[in-house]
Amino acid sequence: MNMPAMRSVQTAVQKKLTVDRRFLYMRRTRSIAENTFYYLLLFTLSFVFVYPLLYMISQSLMRPSDIADATIRWIPKSFELNNYAEAFKSINYFNGLINSAWISLGSAVLQIISCSFIGYGFARYQFPGKGLWMALLIFTFLVPPTTIVVPLYIFYSDLGWINTLFPFIFPSAMGFGLKGALFVLIFIQFYRGLPKVMEEAARIDGAGAFRTYWTIMFPLAKPAMIVVFLFSVVWHWNDVFQPNMYLLIPDYFNLAQNLATFHGNANADSLQQLGQQVQQSDMLGSAPTLMNQIMAAVMLTILPILILYLFVQRAFVQGIERSGIAGE
Amino acid sequence: MKLSMKKRHIAEGYAFISIWIVGFFLFMAVPLGRSLYYTFNELKPTKDGLAATFVGLRNYRQAFTTDIHFVPLLTDTMKDLIVNVPLILIFAMFSAILLNRQSFGKTFFRGVFFLPVIIASGIALRKLLQQGAARLPIFNDWNLYQQLRAFIPGDLLEPLLEYADSLTLVMWDSGVQILIFLAALQTISPALYEAAKMDGATGWEIFWKITFPMLIPIVFVNTLFTIVNSFTNPDNGIMNHLLHTVFVSNNYAYGSTIGWLYFIFIFMVLGIVFLAFRRRMAY
Repeated sequence: MNMPAMRSVQTAVQKKLTVDRRFLYMRRTRSIAENTFYYLLLFTLSFVFVYPLLYMISQSLMRPSDIADATIRWIPKSFELNNYAEAFKSINYFNGLINSAWISLGSAVLQIISCSFIGYGFARYQFPGKGLWMALLIFTFLVPPTTIVVPLYIFYSDLGWINTLFPFIFPSAMGFGLKGALFVLIFIQFYRGLPKVMEEAARIDGAGAFRTYWTIMFPLAKPAMIVVFLFSVVWHWNDVFQPNMYLLIPDYFNLAQNLATFHGNANADSLQQLGQQVQQSDMLGSAPTLMNQIMAAVMLTILPILILYLFVQRAFVQGIERSGIAGE
Repeated sequence: MKLSMKKRHIAEGYAFISIWIVGFFLFMAVPLGRSLYYTFNELKPTKDGLAATFVGLRNYRQAFTTDIHFVPLLTDTMKDLIVNVPLILIFAMFSAILLNRQSFGKTFFRGVFFLPVIIASGIALRKLLQQGAARLPIFNDWNLYQQLRAFIPGDLLEPLLEYADSLTLVMWDSGVQILIFLAALQTISPALYEAAKMDGATGWEIFWKITFPMLIPIVFVNTLFTIVNSFTNPDNGIMNHLLHTVFVSNNYAYGSTIGWLYFIFIFMVLGIVFLAFRRRMAY
């Protein structure tokens, strides 16, 4: 290769490099603008989601006089923990907490075990009538619970299960209960996405079908389990529809039921403020209730699942990505 | 007993789903059949339980003639659905695409966007709504109505603002849908995007030519989920009407009839959605 040719190649390369650099610079300024916009959007949307929570915390710490005071928006004059104390008593917190925990955790654990088992059967086995059962599974998901409310209620009361936990436990143990069909579908999707190699190895080594499932496949389903667990706990926790049907004695109420019947406790101190309160509420168009106590009660009710969510959030998000909920 | 490989496979498969089949008859098929039977009868509580007398289609006639609540509630539910489902889907897809970008604080933002999944189901949200906590303060604070009144005629403005106000509710209702879209976005192969970028496609083109077509099956799944969710939501007017009929008025037969009519109605809506998507997905 002669010298001039070499030089021309060099200049060409240099030119290309400067062009690239200019291009990169353009791209960078553009990406800064883009990123600013992107984060602005994210923060705005996040604010909408966090706003009720902040509002709730702020309101639950206020005295009624703080609400009437126009100078106070977010930070109350003094932190009024009395609201929490009142709410704690009024919604019968400990009792409700224990009932809620039994219903939610019990159902969630049973649903994980049963739905995973059933989902594995649907995902890995070919048998005559499978299409029919799959169609019925989806059908189950679509039937509104109100359509079968009357026969189920009569069925359970004939068995003497009203005011016990059985109406929650038995359906959950069989892959039914609250949104059970959805959970089975999640597990089906998850198991379909797993490779068959390990199962085959286990089968060749002489493990039976159930042993293979229990010792190899079930432990692998952790991402799907976390997703189902969180959904199941949360939905049971917030549900009042089933508890209102099956738990009729106030002592057996779960937290959500207690919250639903709570409209604020008017004690002597806050009664004085009630006059202003009424005006305030008329403007908002709601009944003259003691909003701060209700906010405190809501806070107390969702606190356990918020804490749970903080702990499992990362695993939950990863679980969503890995469990292939959306995979076809 | 020795079974052939194939028979053993079938037996094992049925063994796995057997508990579900038993559950299906106990908690779904039998109750469904019984409630259908109730709709053609009148139920009277006696010493030995409920006594049924056959009345033909009287309960069904009652729903469309004597009951002044049923038909309006049904149309209201339908109206809400037509407005909310597209909004929820658009918002959820938009949010999922935002969250899918690799960025700083990704985990934090995802945690925040899924917060509604935790709070927005059931009684806690209802209490918040009663206290006006879930609507954004801008509508009241800045007196938006009066300000905009100068530019837009009132007849147009009022529904517009109502719509904007219900947007916050839509956002609160779309937690699970965002989640499903996000999971779907993860499954789209990055190679497709790379190829598109090589060929000089813009972000807009990439969305319409790759992301959106790949998401259509999930749009279907989410539409189903949203419809079922809003139909089975206990806050729904029909649900309340039914519970009132059953547990306050103790009219079990008529309650079952409302339940069945509602169920048939849902199936018709879902059928329409299914047909609409089957045509689209054929492409």
